[in-house]
Amino acid sequence: MGHRSSSSVGALAAAAAGTWDRFWFTPTTAGRLAVVRALAGLLGLLLAWSWAQDLVVWFGPDGIVSPQVLGAWRSPTALSLFDVARSSAALWALFLVGVGLLGLLAVGAWTPLAAPLAALFWASLLHRGPMLVGPADDVLAVILWCLVVGRSGDAFSVDRRLAAAESRPSWRNGLALALLRLHASVIAAAAVVSQLKADVWWNGTAAWWLAARESTRVDLTGVFAGSEIATNLVTHAIVLFEIAFAAGVWNRWTRGPVARAGLVGWPLIGLVAGEPMWGAAMAILAWACLPDESAAGTAGPPL
Amino acid sequence: MARHHTPDRDDRRRPPGALLRPDGSAPTGPEEGAEGGLVPAAGALPETLRGPATLLLGLYLVGLFLCVAGNTASGTSLLIGTIKDRLFAPWMVPLWLDLGHDTRLTYGLPEDADHHLEIRLAGELAGKPSGQGVGRPTAALRLPADGDHSERAARWRRLAAAAALAEEDAEQAGVLPAAIGAGSFAAAGDDDLEIRIVRSVPPDYASARSPRSDETALEVRVRRRDGELQLIPIPPAEEVAPLIDAAPAPGGEN
Repeated sequence: MGHRSSSSVGALAAAAAGTWDRFWFTPTTAGRLAVVRALAGLLGLLLAWSWAQDLVVWFGPDGIVSPQVLGAWRSPTALSLFDVARSSAALWALFLVGVGLLGLLAVGAWTPLAAPLAALFWASLLHRGPMLVGPADDVLAVILWCLVVGRSGDAFSVDRRLAAAESRPSWRNGLALALLRLHASVIAAAAVVSQLKADVWWNGTAAWWLAARESTRVDLTGVFAGSEIATNLVTHAIVLFEIAFAAGVWNRWTRGPVARAGLVGWPLIGLVAGEPMWGAAMAILAWACLPDESAAGTAGPPL
Repeated sequence: MARHHTPDRDDRRRPPGALLRPDGSAPTGPEEGAEGGLVPAAGALPETLRGPATLLLGLYLVGLFLCVAGNTASGTSLLIGTIKDRLFAPWMVPLWLDLGHDTRLTYGLPEDADHHLEIRLAGELAGKPSGQGVGRPTAALRLPADGDHSERAARWRRLAAAAALAEEDAEQAGVLPAAIGAGSFAAAGDDDLEIRIVRSVPPDYASARSPRSDETALEVRVRRRDGELQLIPIPPAEEVAPLIDAAPAPGGEN
């Protein structure tokens, strides 16, 4: 009896360990991760452009975000490479190096080096001006660190073109994709939890408050003002979509549909909410959640 | 539960160059080689790394949970805050991974409205249309410009919102307005400026056809005297102007 129960416990533990290993460490080809890498690099370049135009105004020697301001805003454990850039020239030099790293990441050149350095650059940039950071910056930071784990340069890349040997499946790609899926679910779930604390997400008027802001990218105020039902529908649809996405990526039957819906749904929410870059970043995470048969099936062709 | 095996991620499929088990499946862990030794399958996690990798993953998952739980707008418990700050913040903060991801999008509150920054010369010149000053522009500079939907504009809005919200924090109050003023002296050609944070508040749904209304969230005067930066709060208009009852008093003169 005791022997049988201990053996069943052992079997359960072994099954759990096997599930854990399969989820995190299954060798996987680089195709899907490579697309994430290219899209993340491009998104990083777009976001970097929004920092570039006021770089000196914000972070220059006489800039708004002075060391005194940072002292009041930043965590004591925060670090930024930009802290050592005391002149406008040094600031620009460091920034352009970072932009170059994002460019290398986008095309997959020297990826094993470019990926961690690009993530480091991005974290440093955000730490230099934390009050300027938006949700797209946060999601991109997560994606960049996940890319550090994988071998995303093994497909659709300059590295792949220059490589002599054929790329192989790697546990590092599986781990990176698993981390991206985990974060996609966590970010969607955290958004839902945050939203449902407010009345506007329950009474169905949140879509109005989003659309009526000046910063929205699509003017739906005419539609919403004319139909409260439409306003309620969009509000509840956003919440239901986020719940479905957060939960659906964990089930093999729902994973494909919700991930595909995420490729469209997240950008649409981003447009309505005035955060199109965040929508794009979430769509990249949705791509990472797609089941394997829907993504690039092999290492893919060279760039 | 049976695992759904796919062509791309299949732990039974033989990766190129991998060793084969007798049943033809591809190994994912260490494999017994021809001479009885352990040979890692191609692309599989080496068995020696499995334990440390699992430990690191577990540690990260705990950190991720604590960061989400500890970075909400509702605040966090002392317990979660302490554990996170002591054990996880030292390495998750520098990587910009200490994130709550509580993207609320909107609560329909004034603080969720778009914020603008207005910078104008202080004193007598303030508020006059451009060109009526003494040889330099006196109209307010508005950041971001109306109708600017770019990500750059979004960053200016965040800066303005942060300056307004920081007034509720003893450590941060006044810091950003002073920095914005100091950073604008050279461009304005004057060491005495008024900084105004404006909220463009949408109308309630019940009055959806109404236009957005601009509300002053914060207004301060920033000046430099003898090299010293001074921040002078400007009280809201209703606190300094007398309230005039428009309705005539009964029996009084019109």
